[in-house]
Amino acid sequence: MDAKTIIFGDTAIDRLLQWLRASGEPKDVRDLLLHYLEILCKLVTEEGE
Amino acid sequence: MTATTATLADEVWRLMTAQGILFAIDAPIRQTLSNLVAFFAARLQRDPASVQAELEAALAADERFTREEVNGQVIFVTSRQGRYIPRDTTDPHTFKQRLYEPENPLPIDDLSVVVSTSRPAITTVEPVYISDYWLEQARLVAATQMDEQPVVQPESQEAGATTPVVVEQPVAEGAGPAPVGEEPGVAVVPPTDVEEPVATVVEEPSAAPVAASATGERSTVLTVDGLSIDLSRSPAEIVAEHGPALERILAERLAQDPLRRIVSFGRLHYPETSLVSFGKNDLRKIRDYILERNEPLLDTEIIADLYYHNPRQPDYEGFRFSLNYRLSREKDFEFVGVEGANIWSTKGLPAIGSKRVKASEMGQLTSYLIEGFDDSLADQSVESIQASGSVTRLLTFFEWEYGVLPLDAALATLLPKPVFPDQRSAVLRFDSPQHFGTYLVEVRYPSGNRGGWLQGLEDFFREYLVPGALITISRTNAVNVFTISYEEGGETTDRLLTFDEKKNRFAFANLTFYCAVDEDLLPTQNRYGKLRNLKAFPMSERRKAEMILEHVCEAMGERGGSREQPVYRVTFNDIYVAYNVLRPASRSFLQALLDSHSAMTADPSASGTYFFTLPQVERTETEAEDVDVEEDLPIQPTLRRRGGRYIDEDE
Repeated sequence: MDAKTIIFGDTAIDRLLQWLRASGEPKDVRDLLLHYLEILCKLVTEEGE
Repeated sequence: MTATTATLADEVWRLMTAQGILFAIDAPIRQTLSNLVAFFAARLQRDPASVQAELEAALAADERFTREEVNGQVIFVTSRQGRYIPRDTTDPHTFKQRLYEPENPLPIDDLSVVVSTSRPAITTVEPVYISDYWLEQARLVAATQMDEQPVVQPESQEAGATTPVVVEQPVAEGAGPAPVGEEPGVAVVPPTDVEEPVATVVEEPSAAPVAASATGERSTVLTVDGLSIDLSRSPAEIVAEHGPALERILAERLAQDPLRRIVSFGRLHYPETSLVSFGKNDLRKIRDYILERNEPLLDTEIIADLYYHNPRQPDYEGFRFSLNYRLSREKDFEFVGVEGANIWSTKGLPAIGSKRVKASEMGQLTSYLIEGFDDSLADQSVESIQASGSVTRLLTFFEWEYGVLPLDAALATLLPKPVFPDQRSAVLRFDSPQHFGTYLVEVRYPSGNRGGWLQGLEDFFREYLVPGALITISRTNAVNVFTISYEEGGETTDRLLTFDEKKNRFAFANLTFYCAVDEDLLPTQNRYGKLRNLKAFPMSERRKAEMILEHVCEAMGERGGSREQPVYRVTFNDIYVAYNVLRPASRSFLQALLDSHSAMTADPSASGTYFFTLPQVERTETEAEDVDVEEDLPIQPTLRRRGGRYIDEDE
């Protein structure tokens, strides 16, 4: 995916939600951000490959 | 068609329409030929073969019937209105097509022009469908903009002779994104022969998207509120560089999600669908329990005492989050906790601290802290407070009398910050290790142009301390628990300033105390006997800083000058002690007041001494007549003019 088409805080939020739900406990916003960036990085790199 | 066949066809039509009497007028009514032959052969007592031939001939000749063959079986179709005509399903309406695919669509600069995520007319926010048409249009616009971006072209050889040549980095083998740590950049060649080997000098991350777009690559640079984030780097590196800003943006975006899929409480986030439900009965039970305990309670206490939940249970944190999130949305509950200790208060709890000073008045009295006259860090630096975890300060008369402490920079460094931007106050527990006592202290955070303060220490101050005592506030392992201590001293009895509430005036009384004091701040009768002359203004009046300063100078100064225009000589220390009897103030605040006051002049012969000259009041004839006229009227509040005197009748 082209990074230009990513809307931060909107794109792939479903995946973040899925992870958060699977974790079963509240997460600090720092952890949330780290995981969200991981998702976005994967989106950009994997589809680019 | 013969009469016989016409009769037979009529009979078949009546038979079939009777079967489909409840059908729609144009609905097809079907019947197989074999059924019709069996019926009529039995009825007419004739040979089925001849009946079939007759039926086929009759129905084929009649326009009301249509012949069909399905799997080798002959079926005749008719309808109640006669010949069956299939419905025309063609939709003549073109509004949908015109709406989604207009001939001349408007330019799309921003999708928010097309899609609204909030619909104020509807109370429940619903997702808004974005048609594929607009999504496709948005992609086309983005692609057009990418194509229109300036492409870095190699400059001509003539220009290269005097200016640096910019050459695209070879990308033929780099169709994918650049590996982590190797950012695609633009190579700048020094002004030399173009055919010489190119040396890469500068690598700018911002050049990556330009070069990528020029070669048709996918960009890995995401722009968020002006921040350029290269997603080819590791998340940890990105967070290390832009962590706080991205946290804020992500939290804001999640809060703006119309579906509220992820909800937050403080820094914690949790799926909305995983929240534990708390009904009205739960809220009433929690409120009753807080009122029963008569003090704000920790969320862990509420969970343990009311819900018997154990921290070892796997769903404990989720349950705890749900409780805090629910209470934060209820107006009957107020969050008075700090980071790491979620404390809840509710309506009906007794107020913490003295009621003699209203919150609005204290906010105004401590506004000098907001205005920049906070010198509390002069004795203790932020680093030393953070390292030692304690603040030491001297107690003034106002603080002692009302049990309050201004929330200056030193205390703000020691005490926890508010969790929420709109948090009004926090409730802390102050333990006294010297007397094994515990006091609830409310921290009122500054808001707007009003300062902050601590309240609730009235009993401790009045019982164990006197003005001028040295107190130390220290943090403990618990984020919401602090200790307060003082330096103990031998038994001392002296006549000290007190405030007689019944008579609403200051007086001296014998007090015995057991703490070490700063003699300069101890309001003894021997040294500060003139404090008795201070007037106990209403709290609402004490916010007038200049007026209080003038009154203090009059009350504490040595009178000189003439009878018409007296001059008061007063030391800075006396002003500081007396001023802090009436209201809190820092030394820098007083110094600024003295410097800016037109009637105050420094004594050149003695440092730290000031002259206060009362403006000469001349009574005109008109004013004298006015006084005579008003003699019969009830006593009105004295209109105090700038520089006028205060007397007892001013009450």
